[in-house]
Amino acid sequence: MMSGNVHLSEHDLILAADGELPARRKAEVTAHLETCWACRERMLSLQSTITDFVRVRNRELNRQLPDAAGPRALLRARLSEAAAAPAQGFSLSRFGFPDFRRPTTSIGRLAMAAGAFVAVILTILGIFQTTVNAEGPKPRASLTPGETRPITLQEVCLYEKAEVISRDIPQDMRERVFAAYGIKSPQKDQFEVDYLITPDLGGTESIHNLWPQPYSVRWNAHVKDKLEERLHELVCGGKLDLPTAQHDIAVDWIAAYKKYVGDDKTQ
Amino acid sequence: MAGDASDSLADFPMVEAASATRPSPLEEEVVSLFEQLRTPILRYLLSFRISVPDAEEVLQEVFLALFRHLRQGKPRANLQGWIFRVAHNSALKCRLRTRRYADRFSYAPGVSGVMADPGPDPEESLVVRQRQQRLLAVLHVLPEQDQCCLSLRAEGLRYREIAEVLGISLGSVAASLEKSLARLTRAEQV
Repeated sequence: MMSGNVHLSEHDLILAADGELPARRKAEVTAHLETCWACRERMLSLQSTITDFVRVRNRELNRQLPDAAGPRALLRARLSEAAAAPAQGFSLSRFGFPDFRRPTTSIGRLAMAAGAFVAVILTILGIFQTTVNAEGPKPRASLTPGETRPITLQEVCLYEKAEVISRDIPQDMRERVFAAYGIKSPQKDQFEVDYLITPDLGGTESIHNLWPQPYSVRWNAHVKDKLEERLHELVCGGKLDLPTAQHDIAVDWIAAYKKYVGDDKTQ
Repeated sequence: MAGDASDSLADFPMVEAASATRPSPLEEEVVSLFEQLRTPILRYLLSFRISVPDAEEVLQEVFLALFRHLRQGKPRANLQGWIFRVAHNSALKCRLRTRRYADRFSYAPGVSGVMADPGPDPEESLVVRQRQQRLLAVLHVLPEQDQCCLSLRAEGLRYREIAEVLGISLGSVAASLEKSLARLTRAEQV
Protein backbone atom coordinates (compact mmCIF):
# COMPACT_ATOMS: atom_id res chain seq x y z
CA MET A 1 0.00 0.00 0.00
CA MET A 2 2.72 2.47 0.99
CA SER A 3 6.28 1.92 -0.04
CA GLY A 4 9.25 3.62 1.56
CA ASN A 5 9.66 5.84 -1.50
CA VAL A 6 6.18 7.31 -1.41
CA HIS A 7 5.77 10.18 1.02
CA LEU A 8 2.60 10.96 2.88
CA SER A 9 0.21 13.44 1.34
CA GLU A 10 -0.73 16.67 3.12
CA HIS A 11 -4.22 15.20 3.36
CA ASP A 12 -2.94 12.19 5.32
CA LEU A 13 -0.71 14.33 7.51
CA ILE A 14 -3.56 16.64 8.52
CA LEU A 15 -5.98 13.80 9.15
CA ALA A 16 -3.29 12.07 11.21
CA ALA A 17 -2.58 15.24 13.19
CA ASP A 18 -6.28 15.60 13.89
CA GLY A 19 -6.84 11.94 14.76
CA GLU A 20 -9.32 11.57 11.92
CA LEU A 21 -7.73 8.66 10.03
CA PRO A 22 -9.48 5.29 9.94
CA ALA A 23 -7.67 2.82 12.24
CA ARG A 24 -5.90 0.84 9.56
CA ARG A 25 -4.71 3.90 7.69
CA LYS A 26 -3.58 5.42 10.95
CA ALA A 27 -1.36 2.42 11.57
CA GLU A 28 0.16 2.76 8.10
CA VAL A 29 0.79 6.47 8.54
CA THR A 30 2.32 5.97 11.98
CA ALA A 31 4.60 3.26 10.63
CA HIS A 32 5.66 5.52 7.78
CA LEU A 33 6.41 8.43 10.10
CA GLU A 34 8.63 6.19 12.20
CA THR A 35 10.86 5.52 9.24
CA CYS A 36 10.64 8.69 7.16
CA TRP A 37 12.47 11.74 8.49
CA ALA A 38 11.18 13.96 5.70
CA CYS A 39 7.55 13.26 6.51
CA ARG A 40 8.23 13.58 10.21
CA GLU A 41 9.70 17.02 9.61
CA ARG A 42 6.59 17.97 7.62
CA MET A 43 4.38 16.70 10.40
CA LEU A 44 6.29 18.75 12.98
CA SER A 45 6.02 21.81 10.78
CA LEU A 46 2.27 21.27 10.49
CA GLN A 47 1.92 20.81 14.24
CA SER A 48 3.92 23.97 14.78
CA THR A 49 1.64 25.94 12.47
CA ILE A 50 -1.42 24.64 14.29
CA THR A 51 0.08 25.50 17.66
CA ASP A 52 1.05 29.01 16.57
CA PHE A 53 -2.33 29.62 14.97
CA VAL A 54 -4.30 28.51 18.02
CA ARG A 55 -2.08 30.52 20.33
CA VAL A 56 -2.32 33.75 18.39
CA ARG A 57 -6.03 33.36 17.66
CA ASN A 58 -6.99 32.61 21.22
CA ARG A 59 -4.84 35.37 22.65
CA GLU A 60 -6.33 37.84 20.20
CA LEU A 61 -9.90 36.83 21.04
CA ASN A 62 -9.47 36.13 24.77
CA ARG A 63 -8.38 39.68 25.47
CA GLN A 64 -11.78 40.89 24.30
CA LEU A 65 -13.80 38.60 26.55
CA PRO A 66 -15.50 40.33 29.46
CA ASP A 67 -15.75 38.77 32.90
CA ALA A 68 -18.27 35.94 33.07
CA ALA A 69 -19.95 36.92 36.35
CA GLY A 70 -22.37 39.47 34.90
CA PRO A 71 -23.48 37.41 31.91
CA ARG A 72 -23.87 34.33 34.13
CA ALA A 73 -26.10 36.22 36.57
CA LEU A 74 -28.13 37.60 33.70
CA LEU A 75 -28.57 34.13 32.24
CA ARG A 76 -29.70 32.78 35.61
CA ALA A 77 -32.31 35.52 35.78
CA ARG A 78 -33.53 34.88 32.26
CA LEU A 79 -33.67 31.13 32.86
CA SER A 80 -35.68 31.70 35.99
CA GLU A 81 -38.10 33.85 34.04
CA ALA A 82 -38.30 31.27 31.25
CA ALA A 83 -38.83 28.46 33.78
CA ALA A 84 -41.72 30.36 35.34
CA ALA A 85 -43.46 30.65 31.97
CA PRO A 86 -45.52 27.65 30.77
CA ALA A 87 -43.57 25.37 28.45
CA GLN A 88 -46.05 25.87 25.62
CA GLY A 89 -46.71 29.50 26.45
CA PHE A 90 -44.17 30.93 24.10
CA SER A 91 -45.29 34.29 22.77
CA LEU A 92 -43.87 36.05 19.78
CA SER A 93 -45.03 39.34 21.22
CA ARG A 94 -42.14 39.15 23.70
CA PHE A 95 -39.79 39.55 20.81
CA GLY A 96 -41.61 42.47 19.24
CA PHE A 97 -43.83 40.44 16.95
CA PRO A 98 -47.61 40.75 17.11
CA ASP A 99 -49.31 37.78 18.76
CA PHE A 100 -51.43 36.17 16.04
CA ARG A 101 -52.72 33.29 18.12
CA ARG A 102 -55.80 34.88 19.57
CA PRO A 103 -57.42 37.30 17.14
CA THR A 104 -60.29 38.81 19.07
CA THR A 105 -61.96 40.76 16.32
CA SER A 106 -63.16 39.97 12.82
CA ILE A 107 -60.54 42.41 11.57
CA GLY A 108 -57.95 40.36 13.38
CA ARG A 109 -59.20 37.16 11.75
CA LEU A 110 -59.25 38.87 8.37
CA ALA A 111 -55.68 40.08 8.86
CA MET A 112 -54.66 36.57 9.90
CA ALA A 113 -56.26 35.06 6.80
CA ALA A 114 -54.59 37.67 4.60
CA GLY A 115 -51.28 36.91 6.26
CA ALA A 116 -51.72 33.20 5.68
CA PHE A 117 -52.58 33.85 2.04
CA VAL A 118 -49.46 35.97 1.55
CA ALA A 119 -47.38 33.30 3.27
CA VAL A 120 -48.71 30.63 0.91
CA ILE A 121 -47.97 32.80 -2.12
CA LEU A 122 -44.46 33.54 -0.86
CA THR A 123 -43.87 29.85 -0.23
CA ILE A 124 -44.98 28.99 -3.76
CA LEU A 125 -42.75 31.72 -5.16
CA GLY A 126 -39.89 30.48 -3.02
CA ILE A 127 -40.31 26.92 -4.27
CA PHE A 128 -40.53 28.17 -7.82
CA GLN A 129 -37.42 30.27 -7.42
CA THR A 130 -35.54 27.37 -5.88
CA THR A 131 -36.55 25.14 -8.77
CA VAL A 132 -35.42 27.70 -11.29
CA ASN A 133 -32.22 28.90 -9.66
CA ALA A 134 -30.88 25.94 -7.79
CA GLU A 135 -30.60 22.22 -8.16
CA GLY A 136 -32.68 20.10 -5.89
CA PRO A 137 -31.24 17.47 -3.64
CA LYS A 138 -31.13 14.96 -6.50
CA PRO A 139 -28.94 15.23 -9.60
CA ARG A 140 -30.29 15.24 -13.14
CA ALA A 141 -30.02 11.71 -14.45
CA SER A 142 -29.20 12.97 -17.94
CA LEU A 143 -26.15 14.85 -16.66
CA THR A 144 -25.16 12.76 -13.66
CA PRO A 145 -26.17 9.14 -14.13
CA GLY A 146 -23.36 7.99 -11.85
CA GLU A 147 -20.20 6.29 -13.05
CA THR A 148 -18.10 3.57 -11.48
CA ARG A 149 -14.59 2.24 -11.90
CA PRO A 150 -13.57 -1.39 -11.52
CA ILE A 151 -13.17 -2.06 -7.83
CA THR A 152 -13.06 -5.23 -5.77
CA LEU A 153 -14.99 -5.89 -2.60
CA GLN A 154 -11.64 -6.26 -0.85
CA GLU A 155 -10.67 -2.72 -1.89
CA VAL A 156 -14.00 -1.30 -0.77
CA CYS A 157 -13.69 -2.98 2.59
CA LEU A 158 -10.00 -2.24 3.08
CA TYR A 159 -10.96 0.02 5.95
CA GLU A 160 -13.48 -0.68 8.62
CA LYS A 161 -15.34 2.56 8.10
CA ALA A 162 -16.38 4.34 4.94
CA GLU A 163 -13.80 6.75 3.59
CA VAL A 164 -16.26 9.60 3.12
CA ILE A 165 -13.44 12.09 3.40
CA SER A 166 -12.25 12.42 -0.16
CA ARG A 167 -10.01 14.80 -1.94
CA ASP A 168 -11.38 18.16 -2.92
CA ILE A 169 -12.69 18.26 -6.46
CA PRO A 170 -10.45 20.39 -8.72
CA GLN A 171 -11.72 23.87 -9.45
CA ASP A 172 -11.83 23.37 -13.21
CA MET A 173 -13.99 20.28 -12.73
CA ARG A 174 -16.29 22.18 -10.36
CA GLU A 175 -16.69 24.88 -12.97
CA ARG A 176 -17.53 22.30 -15.61
CA VAL A 177 -20.19 20.81 -13.34
CA PHE A 178 -21.75 24.20 -12.64
CA ALA A 179 -21.67 25.03 -16.36
CA ALA A 180 -23.34 21.73 -17.24
CA TYR A 181 -26.13 22.53 -14.80
CA GLY A 182 -26.43 26.08 -16.10
CA ILE A 183 -25.50 27.63 -12.75
CA LYS A 184 -23.83 30.96 -13.26
CA SER A 185 -21.64 32.58 -10.60
CA PRO A 186 -22.48 30.10 -7.82
CA GLN A 187 -21.91 31.36 -4.29
CA LYS A 188 -19.43 29.26 -2.33
CA ASP A 189 -21.90 28.68 0.45
CA GLN A 190 -24.76 27.61 -1.83
CA PHE A 191 -23.51 24.36 -3.31
CA GLU A 192 -21.11 21.57 -2.81
CA VAL A 193 -19.98 19.71 -5.89
CA ASP A 194 -20.47 16.16 -4.69
CA TYR A 195 -20.00 12.64 -5.93
CA LEU A 196 -23.18 10.74 -6.70
CA ILE A 197 -21.56 7.35 -6.15
CA THR A 198 -18.89 7.95 -3.54
CA PRO A 199 -15.34 6.93 -4.54
CA ASP A 200 -15.41 4.68 -1.50
CA LEU A 201 -18.04 2.56 -3.29
CA GLY A 202 -16.25 2.72 -6.63
CA GLY A 203 -17.53 6.05 -7.97
CA THR A 204 -15.30 7.94 -10.40
CA GLU A 205 -14.23 11.58 -10.44
CA SER A 206 -15.83 11.96 -13.85
CA ILE A 207 -18.33 14.72 -14.59
CA HIS A 208 -20.91 11.97 -15.04
CA ASN A 209 -20.60 11.23 -11.33
CA LEU A 210 -20.62 14.81 -10.00
CA TRP A 211 -23.36 17.31 -9.38
CA PRO A 212 -23.95 20.59 -7.53
CA GLN A 213 -25.65 19.70 -4.27
CA PRO A 214 -27.29 22.63 -2.44
CA TYR A 215 -26.52 23.11 1.25
CA SER A 216 -29.83 24.71 2.12
CA VAL A 217 -31.99 21.63 1.82
CA ARG A 218 -32.92 18.90 4.22
CA TRP A 219 -31.41 16.24 1.98
CA ASN A 220 -27.93 17.73 1.83
CA ALA A 221 -24.39 16.40 1.49
CA HIS A 222 -24.13 15.70 5.18
CA VAL A 223 -27.19 13.45 5.09
CA LYS A 224 -25.77 11.70 2.06
CA ASP A 225 -22.57 10.98 4.02
CA LYS A 226 -24.65 8.94 6.44
CA LEU A 227 -26.08 6.89 3.59
CA GLU A 228 -22.58 6.29 2.24
CA GLU A 229 -21.39 5.08 5.62
CA ARG A 230 -24.41 2.81 5.94
CA LEU A 231 -23.93 1.32 2.47
CA HIS A 232 -20.26 0.67 3.24
CA GLU A 233 -21.29 -1.10 6.41
CA LEU A 234 -23.91 -3.22 4.63
CA VAL A 235 -21.67 -4.10 1.70
CA CYS A 236 -18.73 -5.04 3.90
CA GLY A 237 -21.00 -6.89 6.29
CA GLY A 238 -22.15 -9.10 3.41
CA LYS A 239 -25.72 -7.85 3.69
CA LEU A 240 -25.80 -5.98 0.39
CA ASP A 241 -23.92 -6.59 -2.83
CA LEU A 242 -21.78 -3.79 -4.21
CA PRO A 243 -23.54 -3.40 -7.61
CA THR A 244 -26.89 -3.00 -5.82
CA ALA A 245 -25.43 -0.36 -3.52
CA GLN A 246 -23.96 1.50 -6.49
CA HIS A 247 -27.21 1.21 -8.43
CA ASP A 248 -29.46 2.35 -5.59
CA ILE A 249 -27.39 5.39 -4.63
CA ALA A 250 -27.10 6.41 -8.29
CA VAL A 251 -30.77 6.03 -9.21
CA ASP A 252 -32.31 7.79 -6.21
CA TRP A 253 -30.08 8.40 -3.24
CA ILE A 254 -32.91 9.77 -1.12
CA ALA A 255 -34.98 6.62 -1.66
CA ALA A 256 -31.85 4.63 -0.86
CA TYR A 257 -31.44 6.62 2.36
CA LYS A 258 -35.02 5.89 3.36
CA LYS A 259 -34.53 2.24 2.54
CA TYR A 260 -31.18 1.63 4.22
CA VAL A 261 -30.95 4.30 6.93
CA GLY A 262 -34.50 5.31 7.67
CA ASP A 263 -36.81 8.14 6.68
CA ASP A 264 -36.84 10.20 9.82
CA LYS A 265 -33.16 10.27 10.67
CA THR A 266 -32.05 13.29 8.69
CA GLN A 267 -32.46 15.74 11.54
CA MET B 1 -20.95 46.16 27.81
CA ALA B 2 -21.59 42.96 29.65
CA GLY B 3 -18.76 43.78 32.02
CA ASP B 4 -20.69 46.82 33.22
CA ALA B 5 -23.80 44.72 33.72
CA SER B 6 -22.24 42.79 36.59
CA ASP B 7 -22.02 45.92 38.70
CA SER B 8 -25.61 46.88 38.31
CA LEU B 9 -27.45 43.59 37.96
CA ALA B 10 -28.83 43.80 41.47
CA ASP B 11 -30.72 46.90 40.38
CA PHE B 12 -32.82 44.85 37.97
CA PRO B 13 -36.08 43.63 39.49
CA MET B 14 -35.87 40.51 37.33
CA VAL B 15 -32.59 39.48 38.93
CA GLU B 16 -33.90 40.22 42.39
CA ALA B 17 -37.03 38.14 41.78
CA ALA B 18 -35.00 35.30 40.35
CA SER B 19 -32.80 35.08 43.41
CA ALA B 20 -35.87 34.45 45.54
CA THR B 21 -36.60 31.07 43.95
CA ARG B 22 -34.31 28.07 43.88
CA PRO B 23 -33.07 27.15 40.36
CA SER B 24 -34.34 23.88 38.95
CA PRO B 25 -31.85 21.10 38.08
CA LEU B 26 -32.38 21.93 34.41
CA GLU B 27 -31.51 25.58 34.98
CA GLU B 28 -28.40 24.50 36.86
CA GLU B 29 -27.45 22.18 34.03
CA VAL B 30 -27.78 24.97 31.48
CA VAL B 31 -25.75 27.36 33.64
CA SER B 32 -23.11 24.68 34.06
CA LEU B 33 -22.90 24.23 30.27
CA PHE B 34 -22.75 28.00 29.92
CA GLU B 35 -19.74 28.11 32.23
CA GLN B 36 -18.01 25.31 30.34
CA LEU B 37 -18.65 26.61 26.86
CA ARG B 38 -18.90 30.38 27.23
CA THR B 39 -15.29 31.09 26.25
CA PRO B 40 -15.11 28.85 23.16
CA ILE B 41 -18.54 29.93 21.93
CA LEU B 42 -17.77 33.61 22.47
CA ARG B 43 -14.49 33.27 20.62
CA TYR B 44 -16.32 31.60 17.77
CA LEU B 45 -18.97 34.33 17.71
CA LEU B 46 -16.32 37.06 17.73
CA SER B 47 -14.68 35.44 14.73
CA PHE B 48 -17.75 36.59 12.78
CA ARG B 49 -16.63 40.13 13.62
CA ILE B 50 -19.72 41.01 15.55
CA SER B 51 -19.31 43.31 18.54
CA VAL B 52 -18.65 41.92 22.03
CA PRO B 53 -22.03 43.12 23.40
CA ASP B 54 -23.80 41.53 20.42
CA ALA B 55 -21.86 38.31 20.91
CA GLU B 56 -22.83 38.25 24.58
CA GLU B 57 -26.47 38.77 23.68
CA VAL B 58 -26.34 36.01 21.07
CA LEU B 59 -24.80 33.76 23.69
CA GLN B 60 -27.66 34.45 26.08
CA GLU B 61 -30.20 33.62 23.39
CA VAL B 62 -28.35 30.42 22.54
CA PHE B 63 -28.49 29.16 26.11
CA LEU B 64 -32.12 30.20 26.51
CA ALA B 65 -32.82 28.21 23.34
CA LEU B 66 -30.92 25.30 24.88
CA PHE B 67 -33.09 25.52 27.96
CA ARG B 68 -36.27 25.40 25.86
CA HIS B 69 -34.79 22.56 23.80
CA LEU B 70 -34.07 20.47 26.88
CA ARG B 71 -37.30 21.34 28.61
CA GLN B 72 -39.24 20.03 25.64
CA GLY B 73 -37.43 16.71 26.02
CA LYS B 74 -35.58 17.00 22.73
CA PRO B 75 -32.43 14.95 22.01
CA ARG B 76 -29.44 15.42 24.28
CA ALA B 77 -26.94 13.77 21.97
CA ASN B 78 -23.92 15.98 21.32
CA LEU B 79 -25.17 19.11 23.05
CA GLN B 80 -21.89 20.87 22.35
CA GLY B 81 -22.44 20.44 18.61
CA TRP B 82 -26.03 21.60 18.97
CA ILE B 83 -24.94 24.72 20.85
CA PHE B 84 -22.29 25.58 18.28
CA ARG B 85 -24.79 25.08 15.47
CA VAL B 86 -27.34 27.40 17.05
CA ALA B 87 -24.58 29.91 17.83
CA HIS B 88 -23.38 29.77 14.23
CA ASN B 89 -26.84 30.43 12.81
CA SER B 90 -27.52 33.17 15.36
CA ALA B 91 -24.21 34.86 14.58
CA LEU B 92 -25.05 34.97 10.89
CA LYS B 93 -28.42 36.58 11.67
CA CYS B 94 -26.86 39.01 14.11
CA ARG B 95 -24.25 40.05 11.59
CA LEU B 96 -26.91 40.68 9.00
CA ARG B 97 -28.63 43.01 11.45
CA THR B 98 -25.49 44.86 12.37
CA ARG B 99 -23.42 44.87 9.22
CA ARG B 100 -21.70 48.07 10.12
CA TYR B 101 -19.77 46.37 12.91
CA ALA B 102 -17.94 44.24 10.39
CA ASP B 103 -15.96 47.25 9.27
CA ARG B 104 -15.32 48.50 12.76
CA PHE B 105 -13.93 45.31 14.22
CA SER B 106 -11.39 43.55 12.14
CA TYR B 107 -8.30 41.40 12.24
CA ALA B 108 -6.84 43.80 9.69
CA PRO B 109 -3.48 45.34 10.55
CA GLY B 110 -3.67 48.51 12.56
CA VAL B 111 -7.32 48.10 13.46
CA SER B 112 -7.18 45.51 16.16
CA GLY B 113 -5.16 42.56 17.27
CA VAL B 114 -1.54 41.91 17.88
CA MET B 115 -0.33 44.73 15.69
CA ALA B 116 -2.36 47.33 17.50
CA ASP B 117 -1.44 46.04 20.93
CA PRO B 118 -0.02 49.02 22.79
CA GLY B 119 1.75 46.91 25.39
CA PRO B 120 3.32 43.84 23.79
CA ASP B 121 5.02 41.17 25.84
CA PRO B 122 8.63 42.39 26.18
CA GLU B 123 9.93 38.86 25.76
CA GLU B 124 8.27 38.55 22.41
CA SER B 125 10.71 38.99 19.61
CA LEU B 126 9.97 41.02 16.55
CA VAL B 127 10.20 37.88 14.45
CA VAL B 128 7.57 36.09 16.51
CA ARG B 129 5.22 39.03 16.34
CA GLN B 130 5.69 39.36 12.62
CA ARG B 131 4.82 35.69 12.23
CA GLN B 132 1.70 36.18 14.31
CA GLN B 133 0.74 39.15 12.19
CA ARG B 134 1.08 37.05 9.07
CA LEU B 135 -1.05 34.27 10.54
CA LEU B 136 -3.83 36.69 11.46
CA ALA B 137 -3.59 38.34 8.07
CA VAL B 138 -4.01 34.97 6.35
CA LEU B 139 -6.92 34.07 8.60
CA HIS B 140 -8.59 37.36 7.76
CA VAL B 141 -8.53 36.77 4.01
CA LEU B 142 -9.67 33.14 4.06
CA PRO B 143 -13.17 32.44 2.70
CA GLU B 144 -15.73 32.50 5.48
CA GLN B 145 -16.39 28.78 5.42
CA ASP B 146 -12.68 28.10 5.77
CA GLN B 147 -12.47 30.53 8.69
CA CYS B 148 -15.40 28.78 10.35
CA CYS B 149 -13.81 25.34 9.88
CA LEU B 150 -10.54 26.56 11.38
CA SER B 151 -12.25 28.29 14.29
CA LEU B 152 -14.41 25.31 15.12
CA ARG B 153 -11.43 22.98 14.91
CA ALA B 154 -9.47 25.36 17.13
CA GLU B 155 -12.29 25.07 19.64
CA GLY B 156 -11.85 21.31 19.67
CA LEU B 157 -14.70 20.12 17.47
CA ARG B 158 -14.18 16.92 15.50
CA TYR B 159 -14.66 16.91 11.72
CA ARG B 160 -18.08 15.32 12.01
CA GLU B 161 -19.22 17.97 14.47
CA ILE B 162 -17.88 20.75 12.26
CA ALA B 163 -19.73 19.25 9.30
CA GLU B 164 -22.95 19.25 11.32
CA VAL B 165 -22.53 22.83 12.53
CA LEU B 166 -21.85 24.15 9.04
CA GLY B 167 -24.15 21.78 7.15
CA ILE B 168 -21.40 20.54 4.84
CA SER B 169 -19.84 17.15 4.19
CA LEU B 170 -16.93 15.62 6.03
CA GLY B 171 -14.93 15.80 2.83
CA SER B 172 -15.50 19.54 2.61
CA VAL B 173 -14.30 19.99 6.19
CA ALA B 174 -11.12 18.02 5.51
CA ALA B 175 -10.49 19.84 2.24
CA SER B 176 -11.09 23.23 3.83
CA LEU B 177 -8.68 22.56 6.71
CA GLU B 178 -6.07 21.18 4.35
CA LYS B 179 -6.27 24.30 2.20
CA SER B 180 -6.23 26.71 5.13
CA LEU B 181 -3.37 25.00 6.94
CA ALA B 182 -1.33 25.01 3.74
CA ARG B 183 -1.82 28.77 3.53
CA LEU B 184 -0.98 29.28 7.19
CA THR B 185 2.14 27.15 6.85
CA ARG B 186 3.28 29.16 3.84
CA ALA B 187 2.70 32.36 5.78
CA GLU B 188 4.86 31.08 8.62
CA GLN B 189 7.66 30.11 6.31
CA VAL B 190 7.95 33.50 4.59
